[in-house]
Amino acid sequence: MFEGPVQRLIDELGRLPGIGQKTAQRLAFHLVTVDDADARRLGQAVLDMRDQVGFCSRCFNVAAAEECAICRDPRRDTSIVCVVERPQDIVVVERTQEFRGRYHVLGGALSPIHGVGPGQLHIDELKQRIPDEGITEIIAATNPTVEGDTTAMYLAREFKPAGVKVTRLASGLPVGGDLDYADELTLGRALVGRSEL
Amino acid sequence: MAIRNDQGIVLRGYPFGDSHRIVVLLSPNNGKLRTVAKGVRKTKSRFGGRLEPFTHVDVVLYEGRNLDTITQVSTIDNYRHLRADLDATLAAATMVEVVDAVAQEAEPSQRLFLLLKRGLETLDGGTTGPDVVTSFLLKLATTVGIAPALDRCAACGRSNHLERFSLSGGGAVCEWCRTEGGGMRLQPGLLDHLGHLASTDLASITGGTNDLSGPAMGVTRRFVEYHLDRRLLSLDQ
Repeated sequence: MFEGPVQRLIDELGRLPGIGQKTAQRLAFHLVTVDDADARRLGQAVLDMRDQVGFCSRCFNVAAAEECAICRDPRRDTSIVCVVERPQDIVVVERTQEFRGRYHVLGGALSPIHGVGPGQLHIDELKQRIPDEGITEIIAATNPTVEGDTTAMYLAREFKPAGVKVTRLASGLPVGGDLDYADELTLGRALVGRSEL
Repeated sequence: MAIRNDQGIVLRGYPFGDSHRIVVLLSPNNGKLRTVAKGVRKTKSRFGGRLEPFTHVDVVLYEGRNLDTITQVSTIDNYRHLRADLDATLAAATMVEVVDAVAQEAEPSQRLFLLLKRGLETLDGGTTGPDVVTSFLLKLATTVGIAPALDRCAACGRSNHLERFSLSGGGAVCEWCRTEGGGMRLQPGLLDHLGHLASTDLASITGGTNDLSGPAMGVTRRFVEYHLDRRLLSLDQ
């Protein structure tokens, strides 16, 4: 539709998640009119990311070196590891500033219906880390969905016999929420996991 | 556009857009329903927690062109004991997978719905094990019209010398009816065990495993997979 390179850019942008034809067009034309340096910086950022970023050899977080910044940080408590589904989840937990241990990214959650079993997740690698790092507690920070809960139960079954404490993130009421809008399962779990003031 | 009420058991859901979810339900009145639940993946969602698989819900649907939108949900049963048990969850995953495979859209599915409800209730009650799943699969086969012959030869009707099982032949076959080299050989007692699992109410099946549980599950799984022409992924786990 447009001159070759512009159309190619629109097509490529349109392949990104959440970006349709119209948005891709708007972004492409923004890049056509913007300062040369700005457009080149974007291109360079994409190239650098591809060249320099891989997955942490220890925890499978995204990393710009052999190991990610969290695994390299000597102030981190190595005896406790927070297990998450995706690298993005690490950022969310980090933002709470409540956790000082290390992480482990599974790369998904067990989903029998979709044929995702323990073999497809980084569970064996986690097993390896237990003796190597002297891990004593695993926090299952998977999503509170059937898949996430199944994964958490599986982790408990795998690691408890080895003497590792396996804990699960609490389920409860969202801050700023309304009690009468809470569903039974969440409210039920909130009651079970209530804490003394 | 119309607003209507329905009920159903959530079979599965998958992400749609940024925070929506496509939720597939089995309704006794309308068969398989593909619906969209908007914004349920946000933590502020009022009803996301009610639309997880294996939940029996009452829904209010706003009819759309392709998919109906869920506007209200109330739980009828959330089988929470089931969800707290790994084996029960895996068994339930098989149940919903196979129901999802056979259910049709816009087709009343009263019997299939009741079978699934009964299956989940059994698991929720604490009875798990391969026999429960095998029994469920055999009953489902009966419901959808592909029940294997278990007490007589699928070809000639004879009720003795049943030592082999033919997937394409439709169940147990006698020594005379089996095609040359065809059919799996059945170990002694297996056919009786399968017959017992097919005819006994799910709630009366004893949990756990015995020597025949594994082979019974194997034969049933292959039979169902053969006739549905579809692999049951959840049984690989």
